[in-house]
Amino acid sequence: MNQEKGPIRVLIAIPGFDGHWKGAMTVTMALRDAGAEVIYAGTQTPRSIAEIAIQEDVDVIGLSIFSGGYMKLIPQTIDALHAKKADDILVILGGIIPPDDIPKLKELGVDEIFLPGGKTQDITDYVNENAGLKRKHHSITG
Amino acid sequence: MESTRNFQTNGDIPLKKIYTSDDVADIDYERDVGASGEPPYTRGLYPEMYRNRPWSIRQFTGHGTPEETNEWFKYEYEHGETGFSVAFDVPTESGIDSDDPRADADVGVGGVACDSVKDLEVIFDGLPIDKVSTSLVAGTLSTCQITAMYFALAEKRGISPKEIRGTGGTDMISDQVCMHHMDQIPPQHQLKLCVDLTEWSCKYAPRWLSVNFDSYNHRESGVTAAQELAFLFINLIGYTEEALKRGNVTIDELAPCYAYNMALDMDFFEEIAKLRAARRMLYKILKERFGAKDPRSWRFRVHVQTAGSTHTLQQPLNNVVRVAYEVMAAALGGAQSVHANSYDEAVCLPTEESLLLALRTQQVAQLETNVTNVVDPLGGSYYVEWLTNEVEKGAWQYLEKIEQAGGLVKIIESGWAYNEFTKAMVGHQKRIESGERKIVGINCFVGKTEPFPGKIFRPNPRAGEIQAEKLRELRQERDNQQAQNALDQVRRDTEAGNNVMPAVMEAAKAYCTIGEMCSIWRDIYGIWRLPVVR
Repeated sequence: MNQEKGPIRVLIAIPGFDGHWKGAMTVTMALRDAGAEVIYAGTQTPRSIAEIAIQEDVDVIGLSIFSGGYMKLIPQTIDALHAKKADDILVILGGIIPPDDIPKLKELGVDEIFLPGGKTQDITDYVNENAGLKRKHHSITG
Repeated sequence: MESTRNFQTNGDIPLKKIYTSDDVADIDYERDVGASGEPPYTRGLYPEMYRNRPWSIRQFTGHGTPEETNEWFKYEYEHGETGFSVAFDVPTESGIDSDDPRADADVGVGGVACDSVKDLEVIFDGLPIDKVSTSLVAGTLSTCQITAMYFALAEKRGISPKEIRGTGGTDMISDQVCMHHMDQIPPQHQLKLCVDLTEWSCKYAPRWLSVNFDSYNHRESGVTAAQELAFLFINLIGYTEEALKRGNVTIDELAPCYAYNMALDMDFFEEIAKLRAARRMLYKILKERFGAKDPRSWRFRVHVQTAGSTHTLQQPLNNVVRVAYEVMAAALGGAQSVHANSYDEAVCLPTEESLLLALRTQQVAQLETNVTNVVDPLGGSYYVEWLTNEVEKGAWQYLEKIEQAGGLVKIIESGWAYNEFTKAMVGHQKRIESGERKIVGINCFVGKTEPFPGKIFRPNPRAGEIQAEKLRELRQERDNQQAQNALDQVRRDTEAGNNVMPAVMEAAKAYCTIGEMCSIWRDIYGIWRLPVVR
């Protein structure tokens, strides 16, 4: 997972209060094994997720959600990133999410969603192919 | 032709093709198995087991506001539930009020919001808590408060604390390692508060099981059955050593107030062996290590929950079958109380329909299959007796490893426990992805993606607002001087190192909120940073 400017940097966080961390940690370890630099931040408020993402200059944010409050927490996280002009970070999401809600979450700005039963390889491949694409695009268009 | 496949349990115990008397030649029936209701309790806690009373059907429930959850409990009770179990939302578990600016999205979504005794009154409105026992699945930090509120509620209803039955409290590894709750306090102080609760409660409400040693979340991380047992018992050992060191209670006052909670996973015989081994291990720990003499101290009163992690989003109706097998294993393993998961576990909280199906799964097992007629029907099976020994052996070995790593508080503080669980999580996922652990619909017999067949439960998006409004009213209506005095007493007793429970009890009665009470402890002890590898 190396780009020209160095390894892909990923922040993994769990927005809100819910403390289930198996999904977040499993993906953290899979991305590390694949060569990414991963910051595991655990449970965080949407605003701290945006702050950590900027401080750590990450290319990707992986959000893990177990809380039924995702329809508030995800938009809040996206808004917090927007407020900090960090829209160019790739945002991926995984967890307990009814499939019906996927289109709405993508419309809100989540780039990709990974549901239970998937392979970690699908996530590492996606990150490998897409990390930085948004940033390049951003720098080209202005 | 002999199969060359590698046969083993999910917990990596290698298996032969058949077991015979040779495999159990070392077993001394009286010493290692014994009659039901007799030490070492391998065959069951009580002589008659389910012939006298089947296991309690206790569905773990909490949705939205206290009013909504009350409706759910009434629905379950009308449909034959025989015990209550309250799922609190994560802010409540974490000891944070619903009007905390960070909490809104999580209020009432993964359980019920409960800020003060007023909310608990609503949750149990019209429900016979004098006849039906209740399990309060609070977080470790808020468990003193939730228990005090429940006792205050009972007192209001005229139920004597000597009569009140149920389970409170929870497990430090569960809440400080397996779950990462916000704003928790350092483990050694958390242990102090948990022991305060048990010490006080075993005299005040002797039929109340104040600590629920709970390895459900440990197992869900991906550890083996044997490791689950070891983590369960290290908690018990940590609490008990702390309580006995203080010297205010005897082991035979303390241990009868312990309850146990385990996961029930998919390896049918290994899980049955685990429950049988658990009873025998607990007996040995309490009798031999702690010198307990009262048989009530020796009994492993266990509630099991079918394992949520065994559910799949893909082909979700298959989960109904998984739950039925898990319930059957719980029955054959001799559990006292069972929660059956709903088949929509991988998508949302249960709907009325999926919850009813889970309830009916238990009722069919109890009433139609005749498994309740004979105590420990698998006892004496060469395989099951051998496997019970093997699981127990593995658990003792791992327990020794945990003790070498420093015991309860140390393994949390040092990060040792996190690393063990992380290893298990990664290993579990790798086995699924490599196909070594077969899961229908995931790595074999994968069909095409179909839309979810049932309704989807949607949490009440206004729960946070509603609870915040109730808190505003509460703070206007209650006697704030009395509330402040009660909080001051909690602070003084905490600072002085006294048992906090009498003061917490008064604060609960004075309508102090969970957040107000837990904030005192955060002030005094500080907020703890998890030793997670970054």
